[in-house]
Amino acid sequence: MNLKVENLALFGKTKNIERMIDDLMDCISNGAEIFQTGINAYLDGIEDDRCDDLVHQIRDLEVEGNRLRREIEGHLYTDMLIPDSRGDVLSLLEDINFLLGLAEDIFLAITVERPAIDDMFKEDFKLLAAAAVKAVESAVLASRAFFRNITAVRDHLGKVSFHEEEADQIAVRLKRKIFASDLDLEKKLHKRYFVDKFDRLADEAEDVGDWLAIYTIKRSL
Amino acid sequence: MEITVLVFLTSGLFLGWSLGANDAANVFGTAVASRMVQFTTAAIICTLFLILGAVISGAGAAHGLGALGKLNALPGAFMAAFSAALTVYWMTKAGLPVSTTQAIVGAIIGWNIFSGSITDTAALTKILATWVACPILGAIFGALIYKLVMVTLSRSRIHLLRLDVYTRLGLILAGAFGSYSLGANNIGNVMGVFVSSSPFSDFSVGDLFTFTSIQQLFLLGAIAIGIGVFTYSKRVMMTVGDGILPLTPVGAWVVVISHSIVLFLFSSIELEHFLASNGLPTIPLIPVSSSQAVVGAVIGIGLLKGAKGIKWRALGNIASGWISTPIIASIVCFVMLFFLQNVFNQVVYHEVRYVISEPVLVYLEKAGAEVNQLKAIQGQVISGGTHFRDAIRGAQPDLTQELEQKIFDAAELYPMSLSKDKFVKIDKEFLSPEQIEQLHALSGRTFDHTWQLYDALSNKSKEWKKLEKNKLNKPFNKHLDEQLTYVYELFHQAESVDSGR
Repeated sequence: MNLKVENLALFGKTKNIERMIDDLMDCISNGAEIFQTGINAYLDGIEDDRCDDLVHQIRDLEVEGNRLRREIEGHLYTDMLIPDSRGDVLSLLEDINFLLGLAEDIFLAITVERPAIDDMFKEDFKLLAAAAVKAVESAVLASRAFFRNITAVRDHLGKVSFHEEEADQIAVRLKRKIFASDLDLEKKLHKRYFVDKFDRLADEAEDVGDWLAIYTIKRSL
Repeated sequence: MEITVLVFLTSGLFLGWSLGANDAANVFGTAVASRMVQFTTAAIICTLFLILGAVISGAGAAHGLGALGKLNALPGAFMAAFSAALTVYWMTKAGLPVSTTQAIVGAIIGWNIFSGSITDTAALTKILATWVACPILGAIFGALIYKLVMVTLSRSRIHLLRLDVYTRLGLILAGAFGSYSLGANNIGNVMGVFVSSSPFSDFSVGDLFTFTSIQQLFLLGAIAIGIGVFTYSKRVMMTVGDGILPLTPVGAWVVVISHSIVLFLFSSIELEHFLASNGLPTIPLIPVSSSQAVVGAVIGIGLLKGAKGIKWRALGNIASGWISTPIIASIVCFVMLFFLQNVFNQVVYHEVRYVISEPVLVYLEKAGAEVNQLKAIQGQVISGGTHFRDAIRGAQPDLTQELEQKIFDAAELYPMSLSKDKFVKIDKEFLSPEQIEQLHALSGRTFDHTWQLYDALSNKSKEWKKLEKNKLNKPFNKHLDEQLTYVYELFHQAESVDSGR
């Protein structure tokens, strides 16, 4: 008879949920990376097939993320785990998973609407996407820390705010540049639309961070 | 068996039910209130382990069990148990965690007043000390352990879900152990007084084991406690676990552990003996109570968090419940005894008689007491503790409390006859063969005072002789006291004219 602790039903189930939470975080992290690769590929004018492939990848990750989130939620409720922080954990998982959905939306919109980005704006668009992705990744790290190392959450949340601020500054700079250019108004507006979308990704990451800060205070009380 | 014994047994069962309804909160209150353990799960585990505790450990020390045993007439004991149960029931209805033992002590005080017996002032100071010292100790341990656990947890980086499992397991284990000792320690109060009139008889399952009548009686009592847990304990659980301060699961566990540690450190004679026998400094033993320790531990955690979350009004209610419990129990007991005696014509107490005889004076002088003036009342048989106290104070006004107690112990008439027919009843497992042999050597003799029998026995055998009073010898002396009480009661010769009617 194998009596390893991991094999006992009680611990086995918990370990399984722990793994699912880690997998969900991986999905979001990988999704953010694909988002950045995809944006860069689009801006660098790499062929459409590559971009479509990346869209599929991020979409698959989003589907997987949703499945994991639902399954985790189901387990937390049916097994009545973590009663005092269950609500917070569920909100956290919903919010962080929303970031993946948002990244997928933005990238899909880019490939569908195909905004014409002039060379003079490309570098700033890349920087903006990078800052938003860093904000998302920091939010993922903070969320992981929430489960394992509550004292480290603060450090990661500091980075989320930093990258969000960075994204804001780039967005403003980029918008000024766009509207100072000689482009037609509809092109200016189309670009501004995407600048706002990129910036929103960073903003949402910051929102996740703000809520996470509250959940962390609640847990350490 | 008389039908009245069955009627009287119901008060024990009612007390058991009240105890279950109130005291289960001490072991599972925080676990249930923090939603870590479902109420039904907690009730099942609690009931199971308290039945085991009562039947296995409770019955193992069935002799000299329970404070109610001091009451010398069964109807009186019935009423004291009933009054205590009623008081605890009221407190449970109000959702207040109280000490069942204190309710019983209160009821005994009511009985003492009614029967004209002297209440040991130590019993009163014990209660007062428990109200103050126990919550303070609980708070100190609660705060320290909470801090320690939080620091350890932040360093160990356990996953939130893993921590959840560990905490749940910890709560269930601590609750199970707590329930076991709840059953073992309290069954004596619930059923101890009925041991001598148990309606059951022993039966054996093959050669495997014997289920003694005491175990059956205690099983019945434990089932009553269990029913109390299932039917009525949730409200007090919510007060303990949520009413004073909403607790996190880890906090819930810390509370249960702190209360167990306080009970163990400050009330365990075994621990004191272990420390003393290894030359280590001992921890002073003080009266402790689960309910007070649990509430103290919750407050300790609350204070550590800055005292903002503590609901002081709820705490005030609990404290007033503590104070009113023994008072209500004593008043209810007094009034009910009056009815039982005068309306139902029951003997609720046997008058205790005292005499200052020549042997008593010699005995006291030998013990170094100055009792010359007591000769004025020599030979008078005085009934009732208060009358006797007035008499000796009248004869010798400068008595110290200690000396007064000595005179009481020496002068109490407790006629015993070591007649042959009583020897067959001796519990051979409770007394050693040598002890029994020495009792046989005294066969046929009679004694008026317990100390006379003790002197006769201790002169014959070391096994009957108390050791020098110190911490090391405490467990031996305590056990010997229980054995002596058992022997005194076994050979006690009831007098014909001694009723309290």
